[in-house]
Amino acid sequence: MDRQDIQGIQGIQGEDGGRAAPWDAAAALVRAAQDGDALAMDELLALVTPYVTRLCRPIAPHEVADAVQESLLAVFKGLRTLRDPRAFYGWVRTATVREAVRVARRAPAEEPADPADLARLGGLRADADGELPADVRDVLARLPVRHRAVLVLRELEGLDEATVAGLLGVPQGTVKSRLSRARSSFRKAWSR
Amino acid sequence: MSSSDPVLRLRVLAAGLHAGLYAEEHLPLPYDRVWAVAADLEAELPHLLPFLREFRVPPGDTDRTPALAVGRSGLTEPFEVRLAPGWCLMQSRLVVGGMAATPEADGTRFAVLGATRPTVLRPAQWLYGRLLGERRGRAFIDRLAERAALR
Repeated sequence: MDRQDIQGIQGIQGEDGGRAAPWDAAAALVRAAQDGDALAMDELLALVTPYVTRLCRPIAPHEVADAVQESLLAVFKGLRTLRDPRAFYGWVRTATVREAVRVARRAPAEEPADPADLARLGGLRADADGELPADVRDVLARLPVRHRAVLVLRELEGLDEATVAGLLGVPQGTVKSRLSRARSSFRKAWSR
Repeated sequence: MSSSDPVLRLRVLAAGLHAGLYAEEHLPLPYDRVWAVAADLEAELPHLLPFLREFRVPPGDTDRTPALAVGRSGLTEPFEVRLAPGWCLMQSRLVVGGMAATPEADGTRFAVLGATRPTVLRPAQWLYGRLLGERRGRAFIDRLAERAALR
């Protein structure tokens, strides 16, 4: 398959949101990848990632990156078991939905953060000139230290979870779960 | 998204190729310095792989560019190379090698992959991978970190 074909597929996928695209054209890449052609597998990965991401976003909106990665791992780990390369996209869809649901369920403690609270937190940094207003400090102070730490690093400092995990010396998953609990505690404390 | 992080992408390829060798590590060195070593295939690869005497490849980023590996024994093996920032794949009829790097808090996350291609070799790859894969991978990363620290 040449580059033009690949671009053609991507273009069509982009236009119709992943429906009824000429999936057949991916078959050559699938066959080569099944033979252990790493360069073809790399091209197939680039081709399918936008589609997988589009599927994961609504299913696991708070875990999109994890859901995408888990889906891609499942898809490529099982690639050799796919008998008909033309069935590739249907098969990708199935694997992705399964993985995205699993990832979304994996963290029951993860509840969606209230956008109003997050907007308030985000806005505070801009107009507080580096200093938090007393009432926010008050609310933050009522939270356990570990929650305060992730909230401040994540929401006020705008650091990503990996950096927060590195700074606090805890796994990234711990940051994630603490952040979820911290947001919900913050919400409760704020409305008290 | 996976494709934006080369290390995550290499993890997916390692799964897809059922790679016998895969290792990744955080290096306390700047990304630019680490990748300068990794991307300088012709000069650095023979230092990083003990069985390699020479690796002839045009410099700079490439896609499916022909290269030639010359082993210590004098045996040669034609390769195809894809080199981009933070991303390198090299493959011959028999083997696949890969490297990926991404900046990470005060340093670099670096990953290395090695796999054999023909299906008949896969059971052996699985066995040796279990025994040696991680240790060999880490040794590769250690040597690369040493070379990067020297720059």
